[in-house]
Amino acid sequence: MLSEFVDGKRLAGRLLPSSFFMLSCMILSFIFIDAKPAYTLPLSHPGSVRAIPAFARKYGLPCSACHTAWPELNWFGQAFRDNGYQLMNDRDSPIWQNPSFFPITFRITPNWHRENTNHQAVDSIPGDGAGSVLVDGTVRQHGFDLSGFDLWTAGTLFKNISFSLLPSADSTGAFHFENAFVRFDNLFNSRWVNLRFGKFELDNLISEKRFLFLSANGGIYQLYHFVPVGDSNTFGLGDNQLGLELAGHSINSYTRYSVALLSSNDGQVGLPANRGYDTYLTFSQAFQVGSLGLQRFGAYAYIGERPTFSQTTSGTLIPGTGMGNKSFYRVGFSGDFFFGKFEFLPLYMHGHDNVFLGTATPSNQPLLPGARAPSWNGGFVETHYYYSPQLVLTQRVEIIRMAQQAFPSTPAAAGDPSIPDNQGNINAYSVGFRWYPIMFSRAGLSWHNEFSIVKSIGIVPLSGSGNGLPPLSPTAGVWSNSVFTGLDFDF
Amino acid sequence: MQARYVLLPVLFALMVAVASVGPAPAGTIEGKVTYTGTPPKMKPIDMSKEPTCAKEHNPPLLGENVVTGPGNALQYVVVYISVGEQSAQPPSEPVRYDQKGCMYVPHILAMHTNQPLQIYTDDPFTHNIHPMPKRNPEWNKSQPPGAAPIDTKWANPEFIEVKCNIHPWMHGYFAVLNTSHYAVTDNEGNYSLKGLPPGKYTVTAWQEQYSTQSQEVTVGPTGAASVNFVFKVTPYLY
Amino acid sequence: MKRKPVFAALFAASLILLFATRPTECFAQIDIHIHTATNTMESHIHGLTGEAFGDGQGRPDVGAQLYRRYCIGCHGPNGDGSGENAMWFDPTMGFAKPRDFTLAVFKCRSTPTGTLPTEEDLFDSVTRGFVNTNMPSWRPLTEQERANLIAMVKAFSPRWQAEKPGAPITIPPETAPTVESILHGRELFDKIQCWKCHGPEGRGDGPSALTLTDTKGNPIRPYDFTTGERFKCGASNQDLYRIFMTGLDGTPMPSFSDNIKPEEAWDLVHFLRTLQVTLKTPELATFQTWLKGHPNTLKPIGQEVP
Repeated sequence: MLSEFVDGKRLAGRLLPSSFFMLSCMILSFIFIDAKPAYTLPLSHPGSVRAIPAFARKYGLPCSACHTAWPELNWFGQAFRDNGYQLMNDRDSPIWQNPSFFPITFRITPNWHRENTNHQAVDSIPGDGAGSVLVDGTVRQHGFDLSGFDLWTAGTLFKNISFSLLPSADSTGAFHFENAFVRFDNLFNSRWVNLRFGKFELDNLISEKRFLFLSANGGIYQLYHFVPVGDSNTFGLGDNQLGLELAGHSINSYTRYSVALLSSNDGQVGLPANRGYDTYLTFSQAFQVGSLGLQRFGAYAYIGERPTFSQTTSGTLIPGTGMGNKSFYRVGFSGDFFFGKFEFLPLYMHGHDNVFLGTATPSNQPLLPGARAPSWNGGFVETHYYYSPQLVLTQRVEIIRMAQQAFPSTPAAAGDPSIPDNQGNINAYSVGFRWYPIMFSRAGLSWHNEFSIVKSIGIVPLSGSGNGLPPLSPTAGVWSNSVFTGLDFDF
Repeated sequence: MQARYVLLPVLFALMVAVASVGPAPAGTIEGKVTYTGTPPKMKPIDMSKEPTCAKEHNPPLLGENVVTGPGNALQYVVVYISVGEQSAQPPSEPVRYDQKGCMYVPHILAMHTNQPLQIYTDDPFTHNIHPMPKRNPEWNKSQPPGAAPIDTKWANPEFIEVKCNIHPWMHGYFAVLNTSHYAVTDNEGNYSLKGLPPGKYTVTAWQEQYSTQSQEVTVGPTGAASVNFVFKVTPYLY
Repeated sequence: MKRKPVFAALFAASLILLFATRPTECFAQIDIHIHTATNTMESHIHGLTGEAFGDGQGRPDVGAQLYRRYCIGCHGPNGDGSGENAMWFDPTMGFAKPRDFTLAVFKCRSTPTGTLPTEEDLFDSVTRGFVNTNMPSWRPLTEQERANLIAMVKAFSPRWQAEKPGAPITIPPETAPTVESILHGRELFDKIQCWKCHGPEGRGDGPSALTLTDTKGNPIRPYDFTTGERFKCGASNQDLYRIFMTGLDGTPMPSFSDNIKPEEAWDLVHFLRTLQVTLKTPELATFQTWLKGHPNTLKPIGQEVP
């Protein structure tokens, strides 16, 4: 796999300075850290808040009690979350707190980052003067920057009624609601029946909202957002959805399930799209393996539909009136395995979109010749090494391979649409570390360093880095890499 | 003539034998414990939570944290040998602690480590006896009216505060000591440590508010040594 | 390609630097101070051996590491209950301070008062958590992890090396929850004067309730039976039996094992269940049925002996 990444002289030339940068970050960290006292550090993608010092303030636990390395949850924290952000100590209701306690927390990551993407369509003469043509160029951007900002409040409205509200802003300060829900916990006095209503993250075993990557190229799971070229589907497994969820768990959360009914609008508010509904099902089971730790595996299936056209008035689309729903699904397996200090998170996904979605054809019109339903397979393996509760090293390898494109690469007749077999295939690799100079119960700070590199064939990189246009050739391997160093803090 | 020469050495041997056994140690350390300064005024104890006791103690008793006597005497000071004694065997007679009229009698009970201790209740209502040691295991037992005495002992030397949770004013101490030469001063501040073999000793006095003081003293074969302690008191508790 | 080995070498070099040299001293570590110098504190629970410190041969999740991750915020680096959050636990609001492991005095035991609990008792306490406190149920941790944590708890006090745990008390089989049993239990409650602290209706409002303090001097409240909440040491009749037959060490709740015979103890358990008026129990149902048929026959609890 590594050989694929070092293919090409130009790539290696670019990689070298990046790895020097990473290395110097690490070396600098040694120099800083060796000075006494221990806490010496004076030094996007919207950084999703998923670590809440407000909970630490309420219950008096340090961040490391619930998080392997915040924001990723450990299984004790997952049980707390499954209980509806309750410790089940009969003192969870807010009436037991001092009235001045307000469960609010925020997170943001000022950073320095560098984005570099090749095979971008750029003018041969900047300014597009006389004689300028679009050529294959490289786009590089770097500088100090801010991530998005999250302001999160969550907890209990009452015993066994929990809530969450997360207004989230991008780095310009434009807000949207990332989640907003009320959850009725332990209905009928059973932890197997919990009902959640609102906008929330799907119960993915491997959560994208609580993972340990922040860069443009590394801060998403490609599989959680991938849609084949030319497809009109708007779905991403990593996007928060609007709907109703029934979930349950065993007493120690070793067995968990979730069934959700969601609107087919990918979490967009204002009823912009259609009147369809999607279903999500997931189940996971954990078991202890001696001194190695807890091993968990699970399966998931998202079955949804999207409209292919809409009602119009005088040709203008009327929002929320989507019609001609066609289905799609994402299914697969995932796991979370601990071997002492190592954690492995593998995931496999098979995706399939209906032919009308895959070719962006309204269902009341004929399909173009050769049209097929696109399907793909993909997977990633993510590794964490928890040197201590205050230092985690991470890496991830991810691939997506189209199994069937919407159109054949060699059309039956000349002039018919075609898509190269490998257009849309992705290889992604990330490596990084997070060092938490403080690990206590009021606030958190992490020095986040990351290098991610993605090769997308013939499409705009999902990170959006570059100029946002597809490459000039549909078979060009677009390499986009991010170097990121930032101070991720929350209070 | 023969007999005299035999008897004399025999008598002499007998005398030597008797002399080597020796008389019982007769050394004594005595003294008085007094105070300088103004002692705190002990408040009357409010026993209204246990009406029987409130009726029994009318006028109410005073607190026993600092109890003074005539001539600036300090009562309830534990005086004991802290250095210089050979390790002693714990005596086998038990010491007795009573709960009577919602008070601990005596206020301070001194005993040897591992000496049997018996705790009695003489009151017609429930007490719980809750010693609060740091170096010995802590326990807490209930004694309803008519309950059998509690038999226990303490393995480590320590001044252990004792309280009853039901009657929060009840307050006493077990002085668990590694010596059998100890005394608790009486109302005139007098104490007496008897039966000491000759030698050099350190005598320590402990009062529950004013901690410890130590002095060194040498005791001759039949001598009496005198050690007085003077505690500087303050007009307030803590 | 020429550059490939360079890239790989750089990556390998950075990994080597990261692991082999400085990090062992450098990266911020909170020291865990222990009162005993031994490195061999172990626990044996459910066929597992828990270790506080490991043998330096790579058991990564031994008790000390887990303690630092999960426990240190409340129980403190010295295991004495003075973690950074401990000052915010307000006993006057009913939140107990964290346990001081250095004294080896524990509330929930199966062993007599004044003795050390068994490792099983500690394991159960960690697994169950303590209701009305900030001590969570640590059940999601694996059994091995919990066993390691118990070994670490033991490492904080030298008492565990000098003493053996007490012998667990024998609990006879439970007697039937008949009205006779409940009424006899009621007599015991009156005669032994549990109501002095717990109040005549078990509301925790007895005459001595407001002045109660634990051994550290913090205010503490007696259990209020009318809430129907779980007890500090469990929720079953057996747990209730154990509570008053071994006492809650470190608190005003004494052991009544010298004063209540084991068969009588079950009567008291049955009566105490009837005080939990918000909890549906067979004892409460039996008692309420009997009360309906015999109104105004019971002498009120809490009449002082003249």
